Amino acid sequence: MTWILPEGASLDLEGISSPLQVLRGLGGGSQGQVFEVEVAGERLALKWYLPACIARDPHLKRRLGESIRATAPSEAFLWPLALVTPGPGALPLLRLGEPGFGYLMELRPPGFVGAHEHVGGHLAIGLLQVLRASFSLAEAFHALHLKGLCYKDISLGNLFLEPSSGRILICDNDNVDVDGRDLGSVLGTPGFMAPEILMGRARPGANSDLFSLAVLIFRLLTRHDPLRGRRELVIRCLDEPARRRLYGEDPLFIFDPVDASNRPDPIEHAAALITWPIYPEPIQRLFEQTFCAGMQEPQLRALTGQWMAALAAALDQRQLCGSCGQETFPAPSEPAPLCWSCGCPLPPPTRLRLPHGLVTAAAGNELHPHHFDRLLSLRLDQPLARVEAHPSAGGLLGLRNLSDQAWRAELNTGQQLVLGPGQACNLAPLVRLITPSGAVELPC
Amino acid sequence: MPFPNVRLANRPLHFIYICDCSGSMAAQGKIQALNQAIRQSLPGMAEVARQNPEARVLVRAVSFADRAAWHLQQPTEVQQLQWLDLQAGGITAMGEALELVAAALQSPPMEERALPPVLVLISDGQPTDDFDAGLAALMRQPWAQKAVRLAIAMGHDADTEVLQQFIGSDPGGGLPAGEIPGASGRKPLHRSGRSPRRPLQASNATSLAQYIQWASTAVVGAASMPASRMAGSGPQANIPLPDLPPTLMDLTDDVGPLVW
Repeated sequence: MTWILPEGASLDLEGISSPLQVLRGLGGGSQGQVFEVEVAGERLALKWYLPACIARDPHLKRRLGESIRATAPSEAFLWPLALVTPGPGALPLLRLGEPGFGYLMELRPPGFVGAHEHVGGHLAIGLLQVLRASFSLAEAFHALHLKGLCYKDISLGNLFLEPSSGRILICDNDNVDVDGRDLGSVLGTPGFMAPEILMGRARPGANSDLFSLAVLIFRLLTRHDPLRGRRELVIRCLDEPARRRLYGEDPLFIFDPVDASNRPDPIEHAAALITWPIYPEPIQRLFEQTFCAGMQEPQLRALTGQWMAALAAALDQRQLCGSCGQETFPAPSEPAPLCWSCGCPLPPPTRLRLPHGLVTAAAGNELHPHHFDRLLSLRLDQPLARVEAHPSAGGLLGLRNLSDQAWRAELNTGQQLVLGPGQACNLAPLVRLITPSGAVELPC
Repeated sequence: MPFPNVRLANRPLHFIYICDCSGSMAAQGKIQALNQAIRQSLPGMAEVARQNPEARVLVRAVSFADRAAWHLQQPTEVQQLQWLDLQAGGITAMGEALELVAAALQSPPMEERALPPVLVLISDGQPTDDFDAGLAALMRQPWAQKAVRLAIAMGHDADTEVLQQFIGSDPGGGLPAGEIPGASGRKPLHRSGRSPRRPLQASNATSLAQYIQWASTAVVGAASMPASRMAGSGPQANIPLPDLPPTLMDLTDDVGPLVW
């Protein structure tokens, strides 16, 4: 690739106090190019726009400036940090007729890969991590919308995942705008755009974000598209007019409970049929809410908080199948659940009783502050304890204290133990754990 | 436990190079430049293919000189593709080349369901056979009508009229068909009036490489998975084409000498 900014050059830019050194080009697209740069000893990423992109989007600079002043809604966003324009010394070094501008952001840390790697089946990732990533995505949009902002163009292309943890990063935050103000040119990406935007009946905002968010969560959870069922099969050439019909003129959710005419094809759309039954009913209901009633009525779409609650609850009831080891999510109310993978019956698991909710004792499941205090907002990034398998004694489960305070454990022998920070205790003889946040009780 | 071993059902995206290998391509290193440009573009093309889980990108190539023949007949996944050099020599059987492509776009062998094919015609001269018959045979195929058809004129002797006929009319209007900015022999400016719906003028190895790169990455991306849409974008064909590569100014001599 030919780079707009010469690699190795030191540029004097307005908007930052120190000179910026261009280390290397990282990538480029139709909007511009991204570079790894160093400013005052710190490595950052710099996105530089192409003139055609600036010409198409006259309010880009103003939006970026406002986003920088507003600061990032959460750590999930690779948010613009500073807007930079070329100083007199830098002008002759740019390989563009019109100098334009760019913005600085954090570099994407190693370990994060494009979400398309997961949807394309190239990634080793577990259901736990995929559900956590979906929760984090809903949480990030929750924070964005609470600031009165909207994203407008979320798609697989601007989401990155860390497969080992399920952490996410949202890139390309340059379309972010105050909701309802419409100071921007982007409409969205077909396939993720709400039908009213694709059909030109409305402009993108927080309500259309909710549609795109549901599409993205659906694609993460199922590796399939919510609107591609039998209706897709009659399309020979999947081009722009065909996408418009599928996603805009006559969209129909493949799992619409009333109209079954767009169900997935057992061969072509196997991914959807295999993955949909994995997830608990409350998650399925939110998809129905968004893609059925909410298809034409934007205000009926599932809200970010509803997604967070349903996804966090699914994680709480995660249970490993005793027969095949697969992750399953049976609800405590289900009378005789079967494993979605091998079909074996799932025996009732041990469930930890917390002041607010039940958490199934399965390796990897975590206790969070919101389990102890209903007033705390849902978050998964500060767990207080984690269920773990004993490293050598197979089948033995323990609970590790991840807090910085000591807990008191009461065993069925009447014995009491102190469980210090970082220590794990065997769940088998445990009756109760007393923590400063509240008690964890086990069924007798 | 791993996520179930399933993935989004994908559709084939057929990408066909149609390359002029007439004797004039042997002059001034043009055929070498074309081989280089295609070979250099493959890693980027493979990366785009990977980023588009909806598409299975399959590459083929036709060469034409005295006769037209498949240079790469088997639709080959771009990740597996090794480019064998084209050799130049002969006249310009462009019409016959289009007939070969027409036969390949017939169903069968074309799949029942696919993404719009991408056809890239590269030429430095004038057809010496019945171009009109070849084009007519091609355009009888529904998949050819749906295809994204691009043309690259190498040097200034290319017949931009026939290249424009291959592309079809430019819905954006502007310059009359066949007339391309910079085709007058002066150093092309590539500033205004450039359009992917007109023949792309590659006046040197650098611009050829840029256009090949653009066709094999940005256009493949647009044909397989839609990109962000902006308000007020003009009339849309069946696939909205991405911006052409930007015109970067040559600040130093690091772009290499002009090859022809």
